[in-house]
Amino acid sequence: MTDSEFDVVVIGGGSTGTAVARDCAIRGLKTLLLERDDIASATVGTCAGMISSGLKYSDEPDIMAMCSKEVMHFNHIARHIIMKNPILAPLLDLSDAASDSSYVDSYSAHAEEREVPSMLFLTPEASREIEPMLNPDIIASVYYEEFFIDPFRLCMLQTLDAIKHGATVRTYCEVIGFDISNNNDIQGVVFYNRVTGTTEKINTKLVINATGPWAHKVAKLSGENLDIRLNKGAHVILDRRVVNVGITVKAIDGRWIYLFPHENTTLLGTTALDTWEDPDSLVASFDEIEYLLQSIQTVLPSIREARIIRTMAGIRPLVPEWKRPEGKVTRGYRIIDHSENGGVKGLISFTGGKLVMCRHMAEAATDLVCKKLGNTAACMTHKQALPGNDADVDVSALSKEYGIALHALERMRARRGTEMLKVLELTKEYPEWKTTICTCEPVIEAEIRYAIREEFPQTLNDLRRRLRLGTGPCQGTFCTFKAAAILSDELDLGGDDFLVDILDFRAERWKGIRQSMRGEQLAQEELTLGMYTCVANLDQSDVDYDIKPWEEGS
Amino acid sequence: MNEDEAYEYVKNTLKKELITPYHADELEIVKSVSCCINCGLCINHCPVVAAIGLDRFNGPRSIAVELSRSPPEYWSTADKIYLCTGCGTCREVCPKNVDIPEIVNLIRARIFEHRPDLVPKGFMLVKEIIAEHNLAFEPWVDREEKAESRDMRLERLGLPHIPDVVKKNAEVLFYPGCQAEERTQEVREAAKVILDLFAVDFTVLDEFSCCSLPSHLMGDEDSARNLAKQLKKKVKKLGVKKVVTTCAGCTSNLADLAERDNWGTPTYHLLEFLAEEIGFDRIKQALKEQTPSQSVHVSVHDPCHLIRHTSRRIMDYAMDILSLMPGVKVTESITHDSCCGGGGMVSYHSRDVADAVVKENLISLEETGAERLVTPCPLCTAQIESNLFKSGSSIEVDDLTVFLAQRFSKE
Amino acid sequence: MILESDLLVIGGGLAGLVAGTIATESGASTILLRKGQSATAFSSGAIDIIGYLPDAAESISDPLEGLTAIAGLYPLHPYGVVGYGDDVAPEEVVDAIIGRVRDTVVWLKNHLQGTIASVMGDFNTNIYPITILGTTKPTCLVQETMNPGDVNKHEESVLLFAGITGYPDFNPSAAAKTYLEDRMALGQPPHKIGHCMTQLMPFRKCFNISSIEIARHLDHAGSIETLAKQLEPHVKQIGATHVAIPPVLGFRHALKNKRELEKSIGAEVFELLGFPPSIPGLRLQRALEEVYTKAGGKMLVGHEATSYTKTGQKIKTVVARSPRREISIDTKAVVLATGKYIGGGIAGDEKGLRETVFDIMTVTADYHSAKDILPSKATNRLEISPMGQQLQWCGLSIDPQFRPIREDGLEWADNVFAAGAVLAGYNYSVEKSGLGVALTSGYSAAKSAIKCIKGGGEN
Repeated sequence: MTDSEFDVVVIGGGSTGTAVARDCAIRGLKTLLLERDDIASATVGTCAGMISSGLKYSDEPDIMAMCSKEVMHFNHIARHIIMKNPILAPLLDLSDAASDSSYVDSYSAHAEEREVPSMLFLTPEASREIEPMLNPDIIASVYYEEFFIDPFRLCMLQTLDAIKHGATVRTYCEVIGFDISNNNDIQGVVFYNRVTGTTEKINTKLVINATGPWAHKVAKLSGENLDIRLNKGAHVILDRRVVNVGITVKAIDGRWIYLFPHENTTLLGTTALDTWEDPDSLVASFDEIEYLLQSIQTVLPSIREARIIRTMAGIRPLVPEWKRPEGKVTRGYRIIDHSENGGVKGLISFTGGKLVMCRHMAEAATDLVCKKLGNTAACMTHKQALPGNDADVDVSALSKEYGIALHALERMRARRGTEMLKVLELTKEYPEWKTTICTCEPVIEAEIRYAIREEFPQTLNDLRRRLRLGTGPCQGTFCTFKAAAILSDELDLGGDDFLVDILDFRAERWKGIRQSMRGEQLAQEELTLGMYTCVANLDQSDVDYDIKPWEEGS
Repeated sequence: MNEDEAYEYVKNTLKKELITPYHADELEIVKSVSCCINCGLCINHCPVVAAIGLDRFNGPRSIAVELSRSPPEYWSTADKIYLCTGCGTCREVCPKNVDIPEIVNLIRARIFEHRPDLVPKGFMLVKEIIAEHNLAFEPWVDREEKAESRDMRLERLGLPHIPDVVKKNAEVLFYPGCQAEERTQEVREAAKVILDLFAVDFTVLDEFSCCSLPSHLMGDEDSARNLAKQLKKKVKKLGVKKVVTTCAGCTSNLADLAERDNWGTPTYHLLEFLAEEIGFDRIKQALKEQTPSQSVHVSVHDPCHLIRHTSRRIMDYAMDILSLMPGVKVTESITHDSCCGGGGMVSYHSRDVADAVVKENLISLEETGAERLVTPCPLCTAQIESNLFKSGSSIEVDDLTVFLAQRFSKE
Repeated sequence: MILESDLLVIGGGLAGLVAGTIATESGASTILLRKGQSATAFSSGAIDIIGYLPDAAESISDPLEGLTAIAGLYPLHPYGVVGYGDDVAPEEVVDAIIGRVRDTVVWLKNHLQGTIASVMGDFNTNIYPITILGTTKPTCLVQETMNPGDVNKHEESVLLFAGITGYPDFNPSAAAKTYLEDRMALGQPPHKIGHCMTQLMPFRKCFNISSIEIARHLDHAGSIETLAKQLEPHVKQIGATHVAIPPVLGFRHALKNKRELEKSIGAEVFELLGFPPSIPGLRLQRALEEVYTKAGGKMLVGHEATSYTKTGQKIKTVVARSPRREISIDTKAVVLATGKYIGGGIAGDEKGLRETVFDIMTVTADYHSAKDILPSKATNRLEISPMGQQLQWCGLSIDPQFRPIREDGLEWADNVFAAGAVLAGYNYSVEKSGLGVALTSGYSAAKSAIKCIKGGGEN
């Protein structure tokens, strides 16, 4: 086989696609992952990162059992990017407790295997000791524990692990067609390379369509119809961990919403709206922001005083069940083998699924692929650890050894585990790379250089997904130009490209800042404009900047 | 599990996750810090950054946008957070007045609770002294020796000894602070001379106890709250209307406590008390009765706890009072309001940092040509005095209270 | 304690300090309250008058041209307002505006002479200094340390961008490429550009170095020689006639340092325009404070105006809070120079925009009330474009005496004047007019306030 011959092509670099690529590669299949944009740049990049125990799906006990198992697997293979999330569900009246108390039992049934307690009940006084911002009128609260994973790093680690096992990964390559034989068999994939501007074609035996909210569009390229239900979810992101524990509450329409401390921020989510919008131009609406704020305000009256830094919005690719409210649609996933109904052969698509299931989905799809290709290797993805998971890291010792701030190293550890040593190694030859570039998260220059060299980013946004660069309260005000210069240096870009990178990153940050702008974010934006417009004069720059989808219109 | 067991379980989990829930009275600090827009103006003004560079102490901005964002990771700030002298310069220049000094104390409190192994060893010694004596300094073992030391100091300064009086329902409680109580007794005595001169109805504490600031700065919140409670009880029991102190740190801390714990008793620094309660007319009158002292050329150092934690007006009063003194010439140095390095308990573990901070002050002090430096804070006095001495300078340092008492008192 | 003054200035940026200095110089006793530093202390070292008209693609070559256009197109612009005083005849409007702005530019230049922020340039022409990104912008005055000289005029000039290892705010390679591509596109000199790194290490480390460390380091004897020695071979190698360095040449001795450096390396040296935390901004802020206090003005640092009493149409008293004390200030007039969102003069949330000291009505770019607008609705999809963000136009609407006006078009108070970024009607970031408007409005508000104080005394 040559570089243009593959066993399987996985389309989509989200949580599912990267998990499939990893599984296929570990099982020895010649695998190509094609991603139109960057790894984790769409749905998974806008989720809360909770690997949920399936609490909300008590009428689907099989799914709850599966979720619980998957949480255990993640705690085994990716513990360095996981944090525990203790949660309070304050009750304002008895109906809150009574309406669907079934979840208490079904949650508790699987609690032990995840090494968390059964659901506990707390008095209002105890609840307010734990979270003093809680409304004094609560009558009790329910306590339970979930786990968070860094969704960007999960996808990245799955990708890097796939590469380690021989997979080829191509980002910024958008599939534009399939090569289909006369007997309706997929033989190849045609894609457009957005970096070079060229069209390429490769041959493959099978194609996995893991493109989430684009699944029906990709299927259509082969002439196949795929039913899917697209559902928009938006989050409001607050600066820093403003609550001591996660808080969940029922929204005005009876849905559960949550406020979760996550990394250095707090996430308020989520909405659920059936949508037919273009995922590329999607932004959170004023209604969604108010829906979330007003709902959480019932238990945290002062929440509006916290600093909102931005919003994010994504699309869930749900299983196409009609005439059901979003909350009642199965949280399970479907694997569609298009050949089964007489459709094109060699194309397998996903609908549905959740972050927590991505490995499970990959296992099921890879089993199917292996069956078709006669491969008998067993799935190992729940046993083999992801890169960086293998040992504990003594951050204090490293801080002394390398002369780098403890906190910067602790944040790096949370992204890289033991792999952080590779970054630190660079600072021996280049001590100047110990310099902090993103002052909020923080991120040092060595990690940026390392990521550019080893994790194939093309833009500052790609760096953000790998490093959390620019995700703090200042939203990249102070790291955009510094990181752009480093990217420019590593990729040997020209002066115009340097400015375009700055404008690109600003555009993406602004997409999320703009919708929820208020309070200190007004001052932050005045400062940003003062720097990039008033001083640097970039508003008058004549570089070749492509308007982004969300910037079109008036 | 019943509800009580459940609460214990949850508290345990939070402890394992290194989370101490924010108290209601801490939420304002957290809110303030979240206003930071990362502009970095504070870096240009931070005396510690100026003294040791941004790599060793990453500065107030970093504390606001980086180190204070995630409570479970507060332990990982231990290599930086103890280097802040708490001078408050950052908060004063900040367009958003972000409360860096208090978030520093909050973070230190969390480290103290969850990772005592990361707390500077020097703090633990102080903690023990405070626990044993309710004082931030080891007290004199022998009461008589203490009195002898006091008398020697008074004699050297030419000040009379006004005996201590403890009484109920006096107008004023004079509260000297730990340092003047145990170490620089001349400050305590000088203040009494001044209060006596102006016929103020005052008392001292029967048994002195610390205002709690050192415990608060170390992050030992339990001790701090304990001491504060004790002191409030003593003040209430005495039934005084006002508290007057000669220590800058006590001034701001007592004002804080009085507000937080509803003391209903205002605290004044002696300078404020002179300006606002005694009044400049009486001060002028008192000075008229004195034979003019020899002329002296002084420079003034502004303690952080007065100007930035309380009000800059207090040092305006100091300048106004000095301007009334015959024979006193004042030249301001360009660093008169810059931190001396003595704050934030930094000198207890990183003496080199504290001394590096004061270095610039000494250079500009020499430039003034003054023969004497005066400052209304025993801590600043000690810090500057020892560094001037080390540098071989001939400039002498006086606590301003002592300097004033000498010029007020009858020869 | 109660303080008394003729004029109370709220806000200690350029607008407030200029207003305070003018008032003090005219004999009025002045107190200036400052709660924190703000946009002036961030500024890049350039003093913009007018660089572009809103949404225009071409820059304005001199302030005269820009002000003439503003007088015609934007009469409610803070520059435009100057032309509508009672004493200005209709045909003199343009001249009145130009005259006033020119006066203020001359005033500022004179007052900054000999300070650590002395400026060069002249009202009759805009200059195009280079920024740390390698871009250029039109401005009127720059600090003398930032004078790019004739680098872009002479065919034979060769420019060297010099960075400092471990100082992340400036990357000479990226800036050099950007600037060169820009000049090549225009077909203008310099045609040869180079870049290099130097090692300064104020604390013997080559990482995490901040601007202020370098500036203070260079202020100390001997440091400039070290820098010169490192620059020399690079200058020789490419035959540089000019060296561009980040704006960190010193805090107190920047100009002296520049000259010494030039002498040692035989090339002209200038600082680039930079971002916060900016040393030129620090120099300007400090210099203006010294100008004000030398004139006899009184500053109350660390004090925030928290409440006030108003009798009839006059503010009588303003209460100010320091961290743990409160004072009252009785005053005859007030200049409100509290800035916009950074300074905190205007605050906004989902309920609308409000002025933070007196709660005076705010207006939008179209001069409708902004008290109920949702901030995100006053923004554009593009963050960085010549259209700018409407939010930046919002603020207080004023009469020709710079008195803020209410919803009914009348003055909010007879003795309150406003200046600087708290004003509506201009967008400094796209116009490149920030410090210019602060200067002219601070000057004008003070002149009106002095009249008010003197008039009030006669009553």
